Amino acid sequence: MTTDAFLDVQADNGRLDVDIELRLLLEGVFLKYQHDFRHYAVASLRRRVTQAMEMFGCATVSQLQDRVLHEPEVFAQMLQYFTVQLSDMFRDPAYFRALREQVLPVLRTYPSIKVWVAGCSSGEEVWSLAIMLAEEGLLDRTLIYATDINPKALRIAEGGIYSGERVAGFSANYLAAGGVRSLSDYYTAAYENVVFDRSLRQHMVFADHSLATDSVFSEVHLVSCRNVLIYFNRALQDRALQLFRDSLVHRGFLGLGTRETLRFSCLADSFHEIAPPLRVYQRG
Amino acid sequence: MHSNARNEPVIYLSVILSALCIFTLDVMTPPGTTEWLFYMLPVALCALQSRPFFVVATTGVSSVLLFIGLLVYARSGIPDTSILNRSYGVISLWAIAFLVRQVIVSRNRVERMAWINDGQMRVSQSMLGELSIAEVGGNVLRELTQYLGAAVGAVYHLDNNMLVRSATYGLRSNEDAPPRIAPGEGIAGQAARDRKVVQLADLPPDHLRIESATGASRAARVTVAPLTADGVVYGVVELGFTGAGACMADERELLERIADNVGVGLRSAVYRVRLLELLEETQQQSEELQAQQEELRVSNEELEEQSRILRESQTRLEAQQAELEQSNLQLEEQTSRLEGQKQDLLAAQRSLRDNAAELERANRYKSEFLANMSHELRTPLNSSLILSKLLADNKNGGLTEEQVRHARTIHAANSDLLNLINEILDLSKIESGHLSIEPESHSLSSILETLRQTFEPVAHQRGLAFHFEIETDAPVRLVTDAQRLQQILKNLLSNAFKFTERGSVSLIVGPASHGKVSFSVRDTGVGIAPHQQEVIFEAFRQADGTTSRKYGGTGLGLSISRELARLLGGAITVESAQGQGSTFTLTVPVNVEDAQAVEQASQASDTASVRPTQAPVVERIAEQAASAPAPSPHITDDRDQPLHHERLILLVEDDMRFAAVLYELAHELGFDCVHASTAADAIRLARELTPSGILLDIELPDLSGLSVLERLKRDSATRHIPVHMVSVSDHVQTALELGAVGYALKPVARDEIEQAIHRLENQLRSRMRRVLVVEDDDSLRANIGLLLGAEDVEIVGVGTAAGALELLSASTFDCMVMDLMLPDASGYTLLEAMASGGKYAFPPVIVYTGRALTRQDEERLRRYSRSIIIKGAKSPERLLDEVSLFLHRVESTLPPDKQRLLRQARQRDQVFEERRLLLVEDDIRNIYALSAVFESLGATLEICRNGREALERIGTEEPVDLVLMDIMMPEMDGLTAIRHIRAMPDRQRLPIIALTAKAMADDRQHCLEAGANDYVAKPVDIDRLVSLCRVWMPK
Repeated sequence: MTTDAFLDVQADNGRLDVDIELRLLLEGVFLKYQHDFRHYAVASLRRRVTQAMEMFGCATVSQLQDRVLHEPEVFAQMLQYFTVQLSDMFRDPAYFRALREQVLPVLRTYPSIKVWVAGCSSGEEVWSLAIMLAEEGLLDRTLIYATDINPKALRIAEGGIYSGERVAGFSANYLAAGGVRSLSDYYTAAYENVVFDRSLRQHMVFADHSLATDSVFSEVHLVSCRNVLIYFNRALQDRALQLFRDSLVHRGFLGLGTRETLRFSCLADSFHEIAPPLRVYQRG
Repeated sequence: MHSNARNEPVIYLSVILSALCIFTLDVMTPPGTTEWLFYMLPVALCALQSRPFFVVATTGVSSVLLFIGLLVYARSGIPDTSILNRSYGVISLWAIAFLVRQVIVSRNRVERMAWINDGQMRVSQSMLGELSIAEVGGNVLRELTQYLGAAVGAVYHLDNNMLVRSATYGLRSNEDAPPRIAPGEGIAGQAARDRKVVQLADLPPDHLRIESATGASRAARVTVAPLTADGVVYGVVELGFTGAGACMADERELLERIADNVGVGLRSAVYRVRLLELLEETQQQSEELQAQQEELRVSNEELEEQSRILRESQTRLEAQQAELEQSNLQLEEQTSRLEGQKQDLLAAQRSLRDNAAELERANRYKSEFLANMSHELRTPLNSSLILSKLLADNKNGGLTEEQVRHARTIHAANSDLLNLINEILDLSKIESGHLSIEPESHSLSSILETLRQTFEPVAHQRGLAFHFEIETDAPVRLVTDAQRLQQILKNLLSNAFKFTERGSVSLIVGPASHGKVSFSVRDTGVGIAPHQQEVIFEAFRQADGTTSRKYGGTGLGLSISRELARLLGGAITVESAQGQGSTFTLTVPVNVEDAQAVEQASQASDTASVRPTQAPVVERIAEQAASAPAPSPHITDDRDQPLHHERLILLVEDDMRFAAVLYELAHELGFDCVHASTAADAIRLARELTPSGILLDIELPDLSGLSVLERLKRDSATRHIPVHMVSVSDHVQTALELGAVGYALKPVARDEIEQAIHRLENQLRSRMRRVLVVEDDDSLRANIGLLLGAEDVEIVGVGTAAGALELLSASTFDCMVMDLMLPDASGYTLLEAMASGGKYAFPPVIVYTGRALTRQDEERLRRYSRSIIIKGAKSPERLLDEVSLFLHRVESTLPPDKQRLLRQARQRDQVFEERRLLLVEDDIRNIYALSAVFESLGATLEICRNGREALERIGTEEPVDLVLMDIMMPEMDGLTAIRHIRAMPDRQRLPIIALTAKAMADDRQHCLEAGANDYVAKPVDIDRLVSLCRVWMPK
């Protein structure tokens, strides 16, 4: 056996160990905290657990597991690592443009509208949708459910306060998404942050909801779940999509992230794509 | 200098005068008077002055004068006592003098001390406060010069081992006092080094000049004193005096005394200066530090920013990586799927190729077989023909007339057989491509003449007119295969004669476009239905299974004709309507050789060969079935029991045993079943019962099943009923074309029948649907009708609520579309009226309104309507969508437990009778489903849309028996609401069941901790919820 081959085998063994430990960790987290990460995509989880290990100064996943199980505050922190908090307002403007041009005219025909932003993270998308609905005159009869598993992110989302440095990017996206006014009409700058209009907040419900364990809670007309499924494995993706399908009214809409598709899901036949490159689907 | 110095001359004078006075008195007075005692007076007076020597002098003078006075007396004798007395006197005088001197000396000392102290104090005072070196020097100098009476002065302080001038007094500064002096240099330097006061007197005149504005004089003496602190020299003071000093010792003393004070002061000043410098330096350094700190902070922030950006980009990368992984997975999946598809395609291609080869082979075998067989058949047939002909001719007359007729019949039959064989052979030849044409030039008339000779006798025999028409611009000569052309025309003509009972048959020849000639054979016979006009050209088939029975023939003629026409570069078309006769038109090129060249260029000639007309269809089958509704035998079936028309099958079958089998099967599949054994019965029952499906046999005693099928399909009352054929004879294509949903060939397997029934069931769902449109605006109503109209949808429009109710009481609809604004009542009223009693049908309602609805309106409508559409740009699409959704939804599509529950729920439940349930829920779907369930159980269900509404409702007097509380709601969530309810004094025992989408054990715990009695997970299992409600419902 050459040295390289030997090293490869060792690396493989190391990865195998990590995977075993990872499974134990996830199982432990599930049993102790009822957060189910067991069906998340392994490659991405592995990276994030490695980061968390560095952060907590643990040499092995088992050490991390020891701390996570015995120190709830460590778990609270680790939750931030497990969930990738990355979002922008009007991220992928074309998506929002498609919603505005193709989905909202249909939603307009309902006497009251419910929107579910699943995996809302720090809430940029929730506020974006609210702004768009307000501009289309639909917000008054709309209720937006924003759910996530990360309580900290939910608190941020609920606050609607974002760093002033990001606003330039937000504004550019807003205009590209077909915004008809100026984004600054919706926020107040304070210190180095901006605070979004509280009147938008009245139409939002923030709640802790896990796509991995929880079930349908309401009938909705639009589900927006973007860049969440990429962190799930196929089984969990199918579970989440099943939830969306069951939540949606007949002919309700589902919006996914640019890299997410229904094509390989067992629910592919339940939906058809209405704006093909943009992953906006309609329930059949 | 001393305080009483001014008075001293007076004192001296008075001492001298008093001494002289006493002497005079002493001389003048006789001895024995002791006036000399008064010498004590001048001595005592001396005490008033300050010089001790003066006392001694005065005493000495007084002593001398005392004894002189004695000597004066000596002339007159001096008593011893006098000498003695005077001696005593002198002694006492000296004693007094000693005392006086002591007094003076000590007073002088005291005064000197006082002076020195005073000077010291003044100098000290002058140094009070925080003064600079120059100020200290200046002040000290000023005090010293004034106090000591100096004219000029300078102060130096030690700085960096050099004496540096810090202040001058009365000097022309730079000339007279050098700014810097090294230690040991000059007197000042020396004084500093030696730490001693140096006093110089009797100086040369140019040593130092003291100048004033008006003059100048030289300094008489100079005093230089070091200024020390703790034994260390800190500076030097130099003073210049004009006159000789009276008490230089005092000055020295003073200067020595103040040296320390001033030194300390100077040192303090120096220290202070240094302190200030240091302070300044420190401040500067601290400023620098601050600046550096600021820079650090800035760079720190930059670093932080960078690290934040890094972190962000890391997160972004993370997300991208996850996305990429996702895409990768998808791509892999797609690849494998594509690979699979490719394999499938390859397999399909292979099997297709195999099949094609197989077919090719089979075809070849068939052709060979046909060729061989016809040959083998023809040989014996030939002898049979010849012999029967011989017999029929009856040359030797040995046969009876009857025998001759038999022989003729045999001959005719054999001829027919031969024709048939020829036809089959022709067709197989054509199909296998063995037939070739031999074009030659022929005159048109010669071709037609043969035909005329052949068919005129037939026409005569059948009593029909036979016309030949040749249009004037028809070509005179044709280049074609005359034999094949005649064969086609013969076939068309014999068909025309065959199917024409009366009237005429005509052959019309005329020119056609593209260098062609057309031969039209027109008859006045039975005609052909449009959908069959293609069928007749297919080999081995005829328009109707029954045709062959009536008219005979193989049905090959037209197929062969068409193939031949194709060979000749032409085509056959048919125009016909039932009962109106038919026209078959053969179009062939005038010159077949030219046409073949053209043919190769374009392959279009064999398309569109049949053009059905739109003429109304007339019955081809006699109406006898309808006119003879005689009762026919049937098996025992369900016709006398109450029937479920939505699941009823009509069985048409003359074989009683098979009918019984089918009947059982239908029952097993949950259908009611009625049996008919004749066509007439079948048609009657179909009209009466409108079953949901028909199983139809073809072989019926009175009429063909195909005819029954056709009649059912023509009748608007029965058109929608799906029909499935079951038969021994193969008429699949015809049956399907007539509108059968399927065809099963007997003998049938059981599962085939099952499939047939299922197909009927499926078809049932796509039956004719009726939609009621309630809309007062005529044009809008018409538009909705146009929008929703489809082949299987019937739209009934009405403009008023009353009209709608009338229609609803008279008939059923699959769906109802209504506006809320009606001229005679509001939509709500209409809906409530519909819901009020059994009189009206209540189809699914779609509210289609232009009005925006409040929450209350919506809730109110939701009780009756599942779908509310607000008019807008996209609303027509949604309307179409929702309507078709309702039209195709049947009860069986509901989940089984719901169906069962709906059935069960029809019996009211004792526990729920008259109970009041409060449903706190935001999800319309759940509200709808639970309302239906609980209201059918006899309970009243009140709805609150969030926790706050629920609290308000529960706070009222009206009691609630049980609360179903959703957890996730706007405004106030369920857990909070439950806690509030439990906090109410008299609501501790109110049963509350929580409904939550969260699935974990601790979620359940949360509900119970908040005060819920129990818990049901969403999506709600209705059975479970109902039984939970039973458990918790207060008894």
